[in-house]
Amino acid sequence: MDYIYSILVLAGIYLVLSSSFDLIIGYGGLISIAHPIFYALGAYTAGLLAVSWHIPAVPATLAGGAVAMVASVAMSLPAIRVAGDYLLIASIGFQLGLLQVIKNVEFTGGDAGLSNIPAAIGGPLRSQIFAAISLSLGLTVVFLIRWIVRGPYGAIITAMRDDELALLALGRNVTRIKVVILALGSGLAGLAGGVYTFYYQYLNPSQFDVLQSATILTMVVIGGMGTSLGPVIGTFLLLGLPQAITFLHLPPSIMAPFQGILFCALVLLFIQLRPQGIIAARRPQT
Amino acid sequence: MRTFTSQGVRRRTVLGSAIAGAFVGSMPAMAKGDILPLGLAMPMTGSQALFGTDQVRAAQWATDDINKSGGVNGKKLDLLIQDTQADPQIGINAFNHLAEIDKVPVVATAWSSVVQAIAPVADRTKTLALSIGASSTQIAHLGKYVYTTYPLASVDVTALAKYLYNTMHKSTAAVLYINNDSGLEGARVFRDVFSKLGGKIVAYEAYDPNATDFTGMLLKVRAANPEVVHIQGLTADIPQVFAQMRQLGMQMQVTSYSAGYNPRLIKQLGSAAEGFIVTSLAPGVSEDPNVGPFIERWQKVMGRKPNGLPYTQYLYDYPYIVKSIYAWLEHHKLPATGVNFRKGLLDIREFNLPMTGRLIINPDHTVLKPVYLMIVRHGTFVPLATIS
Amino acid sequence: MLLILGQILWTGVANAAYYVLFTIAFAIIVKVVRLWNFAQAGMMGIAFYSMYAVVNLLNWPGWLALAIGMVATMGAGLLIELYGLRPLRRRHSSSLMFFIYTLILSELISYVLMLLFGTEPVTLFPSILSPVRIIGGIVVSNWDLTAVGATAVSLSALWLFLRFHRDGQFLLAVSDNGALAELYGISAQRAYLVAMAIAGVFACEGMYLFGTRAGVLPTTANDLMLFAVIATLLGGMGRLFAAAAAAAVLALVQSYSVLVIASKWQGLVLYAFLFIVIVLFPRGFRLPSLRRRRVEQPAVTEAKA
Repeated sequence: MDYIYSILVLAGIYLVLSSSFDLIIGYGGLISIAHPIFYALGAYTAGLLAVSWHIPAVPATLAGGAVAMVASVAMSLPAIRVAGDYLLIASIGFQLGLLQVIKNVEFTGGDAGLSNIPAAIGGPLRSQIFAAISLSLGLTVVFLIRWIVRGPYGAIITAMRDDELALLALGRNVTRIKVVILALGSGLAGLAGGVYTFYYQYLNPSQFDVLQSATILTMVVIGGMGTSLGPVIGTFLLLGLPQAITFLHLPPSIMAPFQGILFCALVLLFIQLRPQGIIAARRPQT
Repeated sequence: MRTFTSQGVRRRTVLGSAIAGAFVGSMPAMAKGDILPLGLAMPMTGSQALFGTDQVRAAQWATDDINKSGGVNGKKLDLLIQDTQADPQIGINAFNHLAEIDKVPVVATAWSSVVQAIAPVADRTKTLALSIGASSTQIAHLGKYVYTTYPLASVDVTALAKYLYNTMHKSTAAVLYINNDSGLEGARVFRDVFSKLGGKIVAYEAYDPNATDFTGMLLKVRAANPEVVHIQGLTADIPQVFAQMRQLGMQMQVTSYSAGYNPRLIKQLGSAAEGFIVTSLAPGVSEDPNVGPFIERWQKVMGRKPNGLPYTQYLYDYPYIVKSIYAWLEHHKLPATGVNFRKGLLDIREFNLPMTGRLIINPDHTVLKPVYLMIVRHGTFVPLATIS
Repeated sequence: MLLILGQILWTGVANAAYYVLFTIAFAIIVKVVRLWNFAQAGMMGIAFYSMYAVVNLLNWPGWLALAIGMVATMGAGLLIELYGLRPLRRRHSSSLMFFIYTLILSELISYVLMLLFGTEPVTLFPSILSPVRIIGGIVVSNWDLTAVGATAVSLSALWLFLRFHRDGQFLLAVSDNGALAELYGISAQRAYLVAMAIAGVFACEGMYLFGTRAGVLPTTANDLMLFAVIATLLGGMGRLFAAAAAAAVLALVQSYSVLVIASKWQGLVLYAFLFIVIVLFPRGFRLPSLRRRRVEQPAVTEAKA
């Protein structure tokens, strides 16, 4: 059963990641794929605070979220004036560059990773408790984002996505809106990093690379961008499918490529046949 | 008021089925009767599959050989394999699968980052984790349920550094290492041991795992004029570094650790590989009579020698360790749990294994083994020295 | 010291060859199709493994492998354009959709290659050494000469094609203003296909050079791609030969950086460049013009009656 609970913990973490990413890309229309680096910053901050200063899990995780938020502001302020494709490439560069720094500095454990992270919760119910925490956090984030986008600020966010010039003409500070969306989304990703750290008790830079960006992006795209339910559907579908495939008892040498081929083919099919995702965003009637 | 359209209902039904279907497969499998399971989590795909698949094959052969000769008091061993892709996250999932679904009491794995990642899981699930092939010295400090049957970095690199200084009388050395967990530790050990003996490290350079042009780094080393260059890299990059060294006219002695012990490297470098010294932590044909037939079996079945012969020897011995522990459990009438497997490992402590000889498990989670130095002569690796 | 600098310069230029070729392949699609073609990594994988199969499984000579590899890569490019990008374009898909599509397509191709060829790093030929000679104290290998020569010839051929060939001029027209070009009877769709084919040729040539000196995995091209992206940005969108020059400069900067910083930070140099270029030079880096400014002529006034 621990195996199932570990999947549920991951599900909760990816719920946070995909929903917060949807806020940035689906609602905000900001094409940044540096989300995993904020996840990494949150994870490493929480881990280092626990290992070096024995800070308990909750404040360490909150600190991780805060660091991710601050880093997001640092990235977005200079980069926000470029848009579309440029922001996409800048975010790739930021992510890979920061990962390179993590790999090369000793105090993060470098490429060997950060291990011996103290257990936040012990006992036989550890996995169940973590699953509950992770899923609760995931659902909280889903509802938080839903509340934001359905409120007056949400209308401004979608107006910025649909017609930035018009919003500028109305005298709105578009740069500030973008920075706020990125900061909020990244901060939530940082919290997810903290949960990851204390559950797995080991961090390695390879877990936060471009492939992770593709995974989160795929969850949002297949689930449905710009919707509350879309990232939820995408998360459970794309986490469950590879797990289900492992039970087909295929030869191990072809299992991983087979999973990868299935995964990618599914995404490409969706893009061609149902680009709006499983849950299509509702557009206002004209 | 919202109304449900038929399209909406259909979509919800499809959604519900999809999600349910994805998770139905995630239910645990039933355990089998008197089969004795043992787990193996190795990279079957990914950049390290070159070694991983051969190691799995070796363990599979050993399992079959044990079963053919009567198993464990008539009961058969069942080797259950999961792919880790040498990735920590995938390794955790693989380990979880073996420990929680397949209910194995022991799992062998390798690659330092994977071993570090699964360590907390091993301790939590009380599953014995045997690291076979990973060399990071951290492995000795990863928890109660993590042991190694393969000597850690300090053993072979220490022996090599001592041999170079004491026997080959090299007083200056350069260390080039790949900037990852494999490279960092071994490079540090070499540097510290060589310096402590009285040698001088004239260059100490890390290179990016994705690098393909090492000219600048090599020219720095050339300017430092070391008598020996030690490369602590991986299978993919060691030949490139070596080739570019030779092309830049750097003819000094080159050494590496067991990752350099790869026949393909000689093919890629040709005569430039002559004199290349590597370490091996497993006995060769002249030290152990079982190794010759083992290599012949590879030639017969696969048409080649195994990639990373020493590692395959250790993986061949893994089922024999498990066999001994299962026999011990039966003798003591204890159930096959990870807790008891660990007890058995520490109680037996000394194993006589067909491919790697005598193995003693130390209470500090380390093992000590002789180090075999190999050198390339006339296009093939031959023994150079054995260091106890 | 001069010799060291000279050696790094020569080897850096030679190693820059395949980066230049990858950059041209990427930049021409950016210029003509106006697309960040991340599927190029997949095309590069197809290029290498088709050549590898010809040399190692069929035991055919290297030049034939290169020719077949080019055909295979061009074919892959054309299929991607016809069945992948064209439908998305028809639907007026956003650039994000194109990005996801091309990225995931690349991954799909690498998984298929993994299934077919396994995952051990392989080189095109068994040996990665090539004969060397010393010229003025600088080590020059046959591989270096081949790389530099082939790249120079390819770039010249491309320039001539764009300058004098009808299809080349059509490419420039479409890259400048596709709608206007269509009005003049130039088929934008055909131009996209030609651009993809050219990208295939350059990608294959680059992989031939790379694969003769370094081990290749199905995922290797993903790392090589980033270089091409950064160089294209640095050169300026739509400026092919500036992108090629940027690729060469970047390769040299990386090579020389080893003298100043530890080798392990070499990778960071690239990403730092990327971020700085995007933020400070989003239109690419332009050298200040050396031409004298023309003196403004007074406006001609209408003749008085």
